[in-house]
Amino acid sequence: MQTEVKFSSKRFLLSLLLCACSVILLQNNDLSSNASFTFNAVCIAAGLAVCFLFFLPSLALKKKTDSDVLSLARRYTPKLRIPLAVFYALYFVYTALYFLLPYIDMFHTKYFPEVTPCLITFIMLLGCAYAACKGVNVISRFGIFLFLFALLTNILMFGGSLSELDFSHYGFELQGDFNSFIQNTLYFVTPSFIAAIFACCSGVTKNFRFRQPVFTLIFTGLKYTAIVFFVWFALGDYAGRQTYPAFVLSRVAHFGPFAGIESFYLALATMSVFMIVALFLCCISRGACTDGDRKTVLIFTVIIFALYVTATYINSVKEILVNPVLLILLTFVAAVMLPAAYIFVGRKSNATGN
Amino acid sequence: MRRGISILLIIAVATVFSGCDNSRQIETASIIKNVSVDRRGSQVVYTFYRLSSGETPWGIDVPADSFEEACALARDMYIPNLSLAKLELLMLSEDVYEEVMQDDVDYISTQASFSPIAYVTLCDDTTIEKIKETNRTQRVIEEQLILLKKNNPSVNINYLSIFNNFARRGEDSFTVPFISSEKELKVSEIEINRCII
Repeated sequence: MQTEVKFSSKRFLLSLLLCACSVILLQNNDLSSNASFTFNAVCIAAGLAVCFLFFLPSLALKKKTDSDVLSLARRYTPKLRIPLAVFYALYFVYTALYFLLPYIDMFHTKYFPEVTPCLITFIMLLGCAYAACKGVNVISRFGIFLFLFALLTNILMFGGSLSELDFSHYGFELQGDFNSFIQNTLYFVTPSFIAAIFACCSGVTKNFRFRQPVFTLIFTGLKYTAIVFFVWFALGDYAGRQTYPAFVLSRVAHFGPFAGIESFYLALATMSVFMIVALFLCCISRGACTDGDRKTVLIFTVIIFALYVTATYINSVKEILVNPVLLILLTFVAAVMLPAAYIFVGRKSNATGN
Repeated sequence: MRRGISILLIIAVATVFSGCDNSRQIETASIIKNVSVDRRGSQVVYTFYRLSSGETPWGIDVPADSFEEACALARDMYIPNLSLAKLELLMLSEDVYEEVMQDDVDYISTQASFSPIAYVTLCDDTTIEKIKETNRTQRVIEEQLILLKKNNPSVNINYLSIFNNFARRGEDSFTVPFISSEKELKVSEIEINRCII
């Protein structure tokens, strides 16, 4: 069991930035094909603006109380602690599967078709469980390394694709309809799950500034725009023929005869999903007991694995687990409603002098 | 004792997951580096050249109507462990490109294992014969293609740009490389009319 040591909020937000960026890495034709690059850029801005709104209650909570929802639940509403922990546990199990399913599918179809997906999931979850036992502080330290690796991968991916950019046939016109706007904006609201992580773990951070989450979302937007830009102008119509356009972009990247950036992309996607799932397990363990509780982490790792196996065999379960609207609704409850409720509970308790 | 068991366990796991237990020599791995397409009599023939450490290419002729059919036949009848992930060059004879080029590029665009930046070029029959003689020919062709692209960026030298040109509406033609050979290899450009394909 870990003793709770507060660490830099900047480092924590850096980890959340990397988690948010993994959404676009695992994009699998989720965006409308009718939408042009400029239209998608508008959708990115709209989606991330909604994400910022999702952040507001937990930011206010952190600013006022220097604590998170789970700590406040223990302090103000001990009777509601268990239902709240159960809700967050279910939410994080759901979200972990939301990311694991496309990642394992991508790994299996694009890179390693000979290995059974369940084995890849098992090994991945073992790694995540180990990291979760070490706590948020250690995972966020890993985030520094991952940030540098992501920087290198992005430089290679974008730099190597420069020669394939074609501005003569694919323009900057604003082209798209209302349905495309709704579909794409909903997709770009997906990174709001980092607001739920922030709501659960921000209590262990110090030196928080309001600008940190703003910069996190701005950098996320820049990364999304860069990937969408290169997919639109470097891959063109070819992107629509293949699954996981970001992976195809990494295959296209080359420097003269030297190619093979896809292994960098795959390593980045693997480490990002690893960090997401490990952070989710940390949040679950914080809700149940304290940061890095091994028993809780192991139990929920087994639950995630069991649900993954179920989803691979029963398609209806998989459809529920990868439903973006359900994810956003659950995120709204986890990141907006519950932290907002605790702002009022805290205010009421302070007024009554408890 | 515990440390020894842990080390043995790690070695065993690493061997299994790294694929070392299932390793093959490069000659027997059936990695295809280059495919040429030409006509022999009335039949279109796809020749798959394997990656090898020697200087002489080792090609297998597969008569088929399309690249998709040729790949399936090659896997079933000729090369069971066929791997096209490292395919670098597709050479189409000037006699057959009108018949197969668009369908083949379309098929390749749907396959995850193919590299989108592999080169595609048209060539005459002498070049097809030359590539059977030595592995050096492929290297020279690739160098010439890179040089051509550098001098004229509008020429389409890989699957990605050729597929996008076929998929595009509005323009009737686009340029691709053409390799001719009498004494030595010579790379030029040829305009392809989308309507005739």
